[in-house]
Amino acid sequence: MSLLASSLLGPFIEFPFMRRALVATLALSVGCAPIGCVLVLRRMSLVGDAMAHAVLPGAAAGFLLAGLSLPAMSLGGFVAAMAVALAAGFVTRATPQREDASFAALYLIALALGVLLVSLRGSQIDLLHMLFGSVLAVDDAALLQIAVVASITLWALALMYRPLVLESFDPGFLRSVGGPGARAHMVLLVLLVANLVSAFQALGTLMAVGLMMLPAAAARFWVASLPAMAALSVAIGAASGAAGLLLSYHAELPSGPCIVLVCGGAYIVSVLFGTRDGIVTRRLLATSHLTR
Amino acid sequence: MSVNRRKILCIGSAALPALHALTARAQTPAPRIVASFSILADMAQELAPAGAQVTALVGPDADAHVYEPSPADAKRLAQADLVMINGLGFEGWIERMVKVSGYRGTVVVASNGIQPRSGGHHGDDPHAWQDLALARRYAGNISAAFAQRWPQQRNEIARCNADYVARVDSLDRQVREWLGAVPRAQRRVITSHDAFGYFGAAYGVDFLAPQGWNTHSEPSAAAVARLIRQIKTQGVRAIFMENISDRRLVERIASEGGVRIGGTLYSDALSKPGGPAATYLRLMEHNARSLATALQA
Amino acid sequence: MTSGVAVADIAPAISLRDLTVSYRGHPAVHHLSGAFGAGTLTAVVGPNGAGKSSLLGALGGTIRDFEGRIERDPALRVAYLPQASALDRSFPVRVHEVVAMGLWPRIGSFGALTAADHAAVIDALAAVGLRGFDQRWLGELSAGQAQRVLFARVLMQDAGVILLDEPFNAIDARTTADLLALLQRWKREARTVIAVLHDLVQVREHFEQVLLLARERVAWGPTAEVLKAEHLFKARQMAEAWDETAPACKVSA
Repeated sequence: MSLLASSLLGPFIEFPFMRRALVATLALSVGCAPIGCVLVLRRMSLVGDAMAHAVLPGAAAGFLLAGLSLPAMSLGGFVAAMAVALAAGFVTRATPQREDASFAALYLIALALGVLLVSLRGSQIDLLHMLFGSVLAVDDAALLQIAVVASITLWALALMYRPLVLESFDPGFLRSVGGPGARAHMVLLVLLVANLVSAFQALGTLMAVGLMMLPAAAARFWVASLPAMAALSVAIGAASGAAGLLLSYHAELPSGPCIVLVCGGAYIVSVLFGTRDGIVTRRLLATSHLTR
Repeated sequence: MSVNRRKILCIGSAALPALHALTARAQTPAPRIVASFSILADMAQELAPAGAQVTALVGPDADAHVYEPSPADAKRLAQADLVMINGLGFEGWIERMVKVSGYRGTVVVASNGIQPRSGGHHGDDPHAWQDLALARRYAGNISAAFAQRWPQQRNEIARCNADYVARVDSLDRQVREWLGAVPRAQRRVITSHDAFGYFGAAYGVDFLAPQGWNTHSEPSAAAVARLIRQIKTQGVRAIFMENISDRRLVERIASEGGVRIGGTLYSDALSKPGGPAATYLRLMEHNARSLATALQA
Repeated sequence: MTSGVAVADIAPAISLRDLTVSYRGHPAVHHLSGAFGAGTLTAVVGPNGAGKSSLLGALGGTIRDFEGRIERDPALRVAYLPQASALDRSFPVRVHEVVAMGLWPRIGSFGALTAADHAAVIDALAAVGLRGFDQRWLGELSAGQAQRVLFARVLMQDAGVILLDEPFNAIDARTTADLLALLQRWKREARTVIAVLHDLVQVREHFEQVLLLARERVAWGPTAEVLKAEHLFKARQMAEAWDETAPACKVSA
């Protein structure tokens, strides 16, 4: 095998944990990146990070009830994040307040509650750190979980595509014709929480949110429509996963940050050289125009 | 005779002269002994005359390398009747402390007379207590120092020493038996502790360090790959890596390397009271048992 | 042209009983009662802040918080073109998709568009003067062009009741003339049209009924009668600002 091929493929051939990490990253991209695109278009880009903190009270409750039991804390975390997401969604629909403010308010309440609950036990355990895994340590159960969530996500997004798009850009119209705007909105939030929480546990918060938002933010500089953005962001996420893992392998760097930084590199390249509104591209193309 | 009975006898046989001392003249205060760390303190407690108060500067579950002396510690040193240290470079900070505290008495070096192993880049390897045979030396040095300081109780001290050494020897035989059940070639483990050189030499176990593993919170893929490769190529049978905080990562490495995950090994400090290594003898027993269990296929 | 038929003679498409739409206690529409005749073209006029948009919002279903009753034949579909819709123009959607959304009642979340539907979309765009725009991104259009796209969507909705809030605001004279011609077509198709307008010349020329609103009903009926000087003068007396010291309203529904 040539040197290039062996350094690109070798690590994946030799080590099962590398293969798993690659598959996990791919599955994560498939599930999270399309949702990231919708979040970007709805100006909800910071929600992912908020969700990472919203899991705390649930995990703390699980810890208080069942000790250091990972299943209990994970379930609690999921329930807490879902409660925050649905409550924020409800506030957004029932009042004039916009989504960014309602999410911010509710995740902060959840975080403070979580800190309070943890302090009741008296110990200084970093629960969130315990709850969140690493891409190098993905076991069969975690892999299955991400894959299942990704499949359900794709299926649900396809099902709800039209009402979701309408609800995103003209909710008034959808309401006036009696369309399922509220349902589409809630489905989006449920998918968001399901993807994020399962990804947190398997891969850690940095990778989960990073792979959800960065490829989506980058894809916007190449394609316009939502389906095209979703497809491209999945591709960017998967490619970044592979490249990041290889970088972590050959250059001795921690894997999670590596993968996210490769995504970040893709984002910067897109901002500068993207064919659709890239900074450098625009400057280069601004030379001539048509007569009509 | 059972251990407790011996202890009672040891203490009981000291009671008479103590009673005599009490009735005969004005009360002398209980001996105050300060040891540098918990393992030494435990040994001293076993070997000391009745009523002695033994304290450790670096307590159970604490790390001697990051120890920060406090004013209370200095006071304890100043008021001590006897101070004992491990030696062999284990306590770099003790001489300064002793000088500052104003303690004028003897500083007993428990490892006196032991031929040290080389500790790599640290100079000598100070963890001599990991070999039970050398622990007899420790006991001897400690008891001799006690007898010199409190000559009226030398008989009691000698009895305690004999009793303790008998227990040490018994445990030594037990450990050899446990580990002997595992073929020599299979006695290879990886552990991040750097402290088991004497144990390895005495009982025929290879303790390997994880190659190129920095204890950062998030490892690189290269580090994980290297560890797995090392496990496979060096025929390692078990890993003891408590310093990796992600339990799942340890499981993944063990699963891919085909090794078992051992429990916790105690190297430099006792566990808290109630824990599996609350005394020196229990610490050695726990380590040996954990190793033997992990190494048996 | 005005038909001169009294409102009471025509079966109502929408009846209002004591409608009050309030914001923080101040009524924008105050105890409005009356009926919009089926198949009529009614213009809603009045000073700024007179509650015209609020009225249309309540009729169109975007304002759900009101007192009083709105009665409408439930079989009638309502198409509502708000004044400045809360449309997110930066969302990547093509003009064609926006217009095709008018077919929602038939296609819903999953229905496919037939060739006839596509043709109808093109026709609707042509009717609003946007021939050739179907593949353009919504975000690339000017405000006036976007407004016309929404007008085309209203065309697609094939509704029995059409609500237009200042539909010609950002539109040039030529297109306005085209769209006004559309209104006549709707009249012939027996649709009920209710439009908020400021240009009284347009109103006199094209609308048979007028509701002159100054929070309360000033006059409602055939155009010539409503747009008399004394009515217009009375309407202009309405104070635009809210009165924080006003007493509670004793009239109950």
